[in-house]
Amino acid sequence: MKKLLAVALVLVMCASLFAGCAPKAAEPAATPAAEPTKAPEKLKIGVAMSQFNDKWLSYMLDSMQEYSKGLTDVEVIYVDGKADVNTQLGQVETFIAQGCNAIVVNPVNTDATEPMTKAAKEAGVPLISVNRLFKNQDEATSYVGSESIKAGIMEMEYLAEKMGGKGNVAILVGDPGNEAAIKRTEGFKEVIKKYPDIKIVAEQIGMWQRDKGMSIMENWLQSDLKIDAVASNNDEMAIGALKAIEAAGKLGTILVGGVDATPDALEYMKAGKLNVTVFQDAAGQGVGAIKTAVAAAKGEKVEPIVWIPYELVKPEDVDKYIAKWQ
Amino acid sequence: MDVNKSVQENKALGAQAQKKYKDLAMNIIRKYGIFLIFIAMCIVLSMLSPSFLKIRNLTIVVRQISIIAIVAMGVTMVIITGGIDLASGSVIALVSVMTAKFAHPNTYPVFVPVLVGLAIGSFTGMISGTIVAKGKIPPFIATLGMMTAARGAALLISDGKPIGDFSKEFEYIGGGHFLNVPVPILILIGVIILTHILLSSTKFGKYIYAIGGNENAAVVSGVNVDKVKIMLFTYAGLLSALASIIMTSRISSGQPGAGQGFELDAIASAVIGGTSLNGGIGTIPGTIVGALIIGVLNNGFDLLGINPYWQPIVKGAIIVGAVLLDERKNRSK
Repeated sequence: MKKLLAVALVLVMCASLFAGCAPKAAEPAATPAAEPTKAPEKLKIGVAMSQFNDKWLSYMLDSMQEYSKGLTDVEVIYVDGKADVNTQLGQVETFIAQGCNAIVVNPVNTDATEPMTKAAKEAGVPLISVNRLFKNQDEATSYVGSESIKAGIMEMEYLAEKMGGKGNVAILVGDPGNEAAIKRTEGFKEVIKKYPDIKIVAEQIGMWQRDKGMSIMENWLQSDLKIDAVASNNDEMAIGALKAIEAAGKLGTILVGGVDATPDALEYMKAGKLNVTVFQDAAGQGVGAIKTAVAAAKGEKVEPIVWIPYELVKPEDVDKYIAKWQ
Repeated sequence: MDVNKSVQENKALGAQAQKKYKDLAMNIIRKYGIFLIFIAMCIVLSMLSPSFLKIRNLTIVVRQISIIAIVAMGVTMVIITGGIDLASGSVIALVSVMTAKFAHPNTYPVFVPVLVGLAIGSFTGMISGTIVAKGKIPPFIATLGMMTAARGAALLISDGKPIGDFSKEFEYIGGGHFLNVPVPILILIGVIILTHILLSSTKFGKYIYAIGGNENAAVVSGVNVDKVKIMLFTYAGLLSALASIIMTSRISSGQPGAGQGFELDAIASAVIGGTSLNGGIGTIPGTIVGALIIGVLNNGFDLLGINPYWQPIVKGAIIVGAVLLDERKNRSK
């Protein structure tokens, strides 16, 4: 019986492996091979993604492919770095050897970009990073992405306004080793400083996790702290806090905000529970990166940093964002 | 002269009595040290925060630790045999996403996701146990492999995304109340009683201590060590699965990233509760107190709003302090 179960399980796992990966791996290979016989004066741009198998990045990739289809004078090649630093470096080197006029990289590891920037510089090929800032960004041509601190500022500004400029805030911090957690929290505090009547009464580390956010909120609700708003570094912890607030029968008395606009978070917003979240614009970053790369390939001057603004998601326009995920 | 003599005798007697009391005190500290620390923590916290001793707050603390405590009981048994289980956190993630797939409303009755979860957890445990027993590979390596593989499987099955939308019955497991007591607490109590009996009053339990005390001696005296180890890891996997089901239900989401670091919290609970990493020593009540100490610590820090960076420092100090107590225990034997 146990053996039978084992075999069944292994089969299920194998099946889901093929179901999950096979079509995705096949799809990108077809794209660059599609039009190899076009006129030689066409500009060639290589896009090295860190991985195709990531929900958010796949939206960015889709938007790039969509946009580049409409470009008649540019050929764009997409490759999957499979979350491996070496694979990605090899791909960038191949792009240079192929004679690409510009290269877009969504780095696997932001600390290991030195060899790429060096190779591109030697070959005189513009190198554009997208979504993730290189550690040695000043060695690259341009960065297209969003600024973490802005997400924190936007979320907190909305909460502060809804609080009427006064009251007590509790902060849920992600992994304090991550740039996003540090900067978003910094953004919260920058806003709070502007409101003398808003006080930070508590701050705890929830490691981006829903269950941790929930436990921390439960404990806060038991304490003597009076909390008017919870500012969370991401949506998952915000949802955890909401579940604790709901269980305590205090839904609606405490404002809760997050970042990411995940499908789950938008559901909570639609149900009238989550007050605010912040959308990171995948399409904006993708299209922005291709635009910047085309400009650089043509020899035009490009900005060293192209900020793609975040979008504040309020309950009144939640449906628009739910549609974006579908 | 006589008077002097009797004074001396009295002094000697006094010294003896003093030594006796000192020994008694040391014995109490050795035996119940961790319980005393726990009680002291509770007293200090109740003085610092009036909210602490409220029934509602204590209920929440127990419910919060129920997940780690259930995992920790399995880990305790493994550690008593001189082994270690690093896979529990990742098994929680794997069980979480698999359970979530079967827990959607209007699909399967609630026992289906529960049984699927428990089966997968037990199965992973059985694999680890078999590798340890038959492959003669140290548990550290075997469960490290399982830890890595199970996390990968969880990501693969879920495509890296959380799985939500559960039936009301399934959400009852982690979020419901029965006679005003949260269901996770009732499950916890059930598991404590079962595991305590298993460990302290059955042959299986005696074999576990025997293996931890001296594995060769256990083999010589006819214990089927391989079978005991496989059963033991299977049971530990089952408990991880149970903890995962409670958590998945509680947060209404099957998450491939769930349970990160839970294996270390579970090991910490066992160690704080007096389980010796050298094997042969450890009890279920001790581990529960260990889990309670961690839970009370988290709760207290949140209640008092202390700088969150202090929390891991204090936790680390308590873990090391507990092992110091444990070392003394071993020496006094």
